[in-house]
Amino acid sequence: MTAAPGQGEAGPVRGHGGDGGEAASGFPTRKAVVTGASRGLGSTLAGFLAGVGYDLVVTARGRAALEAAAATLPGEGDVRTLAGDVTDPAHRKALAEAVGDSLDLLVLNASALGPSPLPRLAEVDVDALRQVLEVNVVAQLALTQALLPALTRGRGLVVAVTSDAAVGGYPGWGPYGASKAALELLARTFAGEADGVAVAVVDPGDMRTAMQQRAFPDQDIGDRPAPDVTLPFFAWLLEQPRAAVDGGRFLAQADAWTLPAEPAP
Amino acid sequence: MIAGAAPGWRTPTVFHGAGPEATRPPEARGLPRDGVRLLVSGPSGHSHHIFRDLPRILRPGDLLVVNDSATLPASLPARPLDRRQAGERFLLNLSTRFGERLWLAEPRRSAAEPGPLALRPGDRATAGERTPVTVTFVAPHPGTPRLWFVTPRAPLEPVMAADGVPIRYGYLPEPQPLDAYQTLFARAPGSAEMPSAGRPFTRSLVAGLGAAGVDVATLTLHTGVSSLELPADAGGGSGSLYAEPFTVPAATAAAVRRARRAGGRVIAVGTTVVRALETAAASGEVRSATGFSRRFVRPGAVRGAVDGLITGFHEPSSSHLALLLGLAGQRMVRGAYAEAVRRGYLWHEFGDSHLLLWERRARIGP
Repeated sequence: MTAAPGQGEAGPVRGHGGDGGEAASGFPTRKAVVTGASRGLGSTLAGFLAGVGYDLVVTARGRAALEAAAATLPGEGDVRTLAGDVTDPAHRKALAEAVGDSLDLLVLNASALGPSPLPRLAEVDVDALRQVLEVNVVAQLALTQALLPALTRGRGLVVAVTSDAAVGGYPGWGPYGASKAALELLARTFAGEADGVAVAVVDPGDMRTAMQQRAFPDQDIGDRPAPDVTLPFFAWLLEQPRAAVDGGRFLAQADAWTLPAEPAP
Repeated sequence: MIAGAAPGWRTPTVFHGAGPEATRPPEARGLPRDGVRLLVSGPSGHSHHIFRDLPRILRPGDLLVVNDSATLPASLPARPLDRRQAGERFLLNLSTRFGERLWLAEPRRSAAEPGPLALRPGDRATAGERTPVTVTFVAPHPGTPRLWFVTPRAPLEPVMAADGVPIRYGYLPEPQPLDAYQTLFARAPGSAEMPSAGRPFTRSLVAGLGAAGVDVATLTLHTGVSSLELPADAGGGSGSLYAEPFTVPAATAAAVRRARRAGGRVIAVGTTVVRALETAAASGEVRSATGFSRRFVRPGAVRGAVDGLITGFHEPSSSHLALLLGLAGQRMVRGAYAEAVRRGYLWHEFGDSHLLLWERRARIGP
């Protein structure tokens, strides 16, 4: 399946494939939006979701990288690429239009690290902090709002990708960590407020990604696992009843993923 | 039971030897289920028994915790739908159900030949013959690329019912019926391979245990495939093995806490039970829990949730031995395996049994 260059902002659409002679799926189709889907965790997750049979709307800022990543997606579902910046209201509106009536899954994966090398708070440029908050907090809420009608119709799940920096207080990680802490609180609040839409917070752990390299520009990050290390976790998360994971915070690389326990007798 | 040990742990070479393999169930060898041999290992040494002696070996107040997972006919005949291997039949051994639409599976050439098969994400196959269902290979499991996430076009349970057989490896020359793979406690279908430590229990033995003041509590852990050919470092970058669904019910967690407070020993029937209880002991004592666990119990990572273990005899390089060493210590386990090899105890799921009882120790590691 090769994605051809698209017209205008909306990228190519790959139609439902199949050989004609084969039985159609006995299951209803599902649709997902993945942000930051051109590389790293976003690209890996998009590949997994495509393989599982989701119809996808994938977005990232760089059109060429996004379309190259989309061209490698397995499976037979629709794939729509839409290059743009999630901080741009027009792009969010275009994403909502591309999604249509109903959405099963929104992966809020795109995020900004801020300056590299990571600056100490004493020296951080407050405009850089503002920009990190704009991308990682404001735009994530605004995108969720834009897709909320479709999520509500699909009784969907929002996955907010976070980081241990949100709770760590690690030197240098102030702006990014603060933005992820704010994102987590918005996600948990949303979980309590939104009827019929579940929200889960996921810390994927350290991975061998471009963002990790930007955070540690002088280090060899080859010892970090590739982003597919998180796939068993996402396989688990996506198949859980929505209500069971709503409001939860999960560590994708932990040795167990558990649901809230039943009360002791 | 999972094969493979995580990075950072190496099986001591002293274990590179094994007893004879049980190639048939004990019933086919003229023994009742509880007639298999039982090696009992404790701090003061080893003794030799028959499994049905168990009520006389345990003490009043001890608690046995068993796994009530039932074995699935998880091995399906399969045929590729894609060009590169057209027509070449293989086995699709279902390992773990993540959901109706997502399974982890091991495609194999046959019971004796693991493959690997040349697969790419998006490749498709049909599973089953009478009621075939198309499955798509989604992605290999990180660190264990022999295992694949697969998505079926329709539920696989009817395919298993029509065409599935229990998973079997090369050391078993003949297929056995599904009943041979069910324990007395089997209630919840979901295991790719029998939780075999519970196999020797019979109704009369459980009645005898009750009369001796030994209670039995249940939990569920659905085992994945333990394919012996999986790499020794199977597992993701986290050093963990692949995840399996488990539930420790509140009543069982309470029974465990009660038994220990009263001075009784908590004895896991099977390494599956150890893994479930150790996972559920994250807070320090066992609490009800449900989810997926890939916790690797090994030297340096023991939460101290159990005081004893009934298990079988297993491959020298398996995570099973790491678990035994973590729980019972080098001295007891080395001595036991030397004794078992010398006395000809039978290996594998239809073989003999081993009870290990160790001094209660504090939590070690995470």
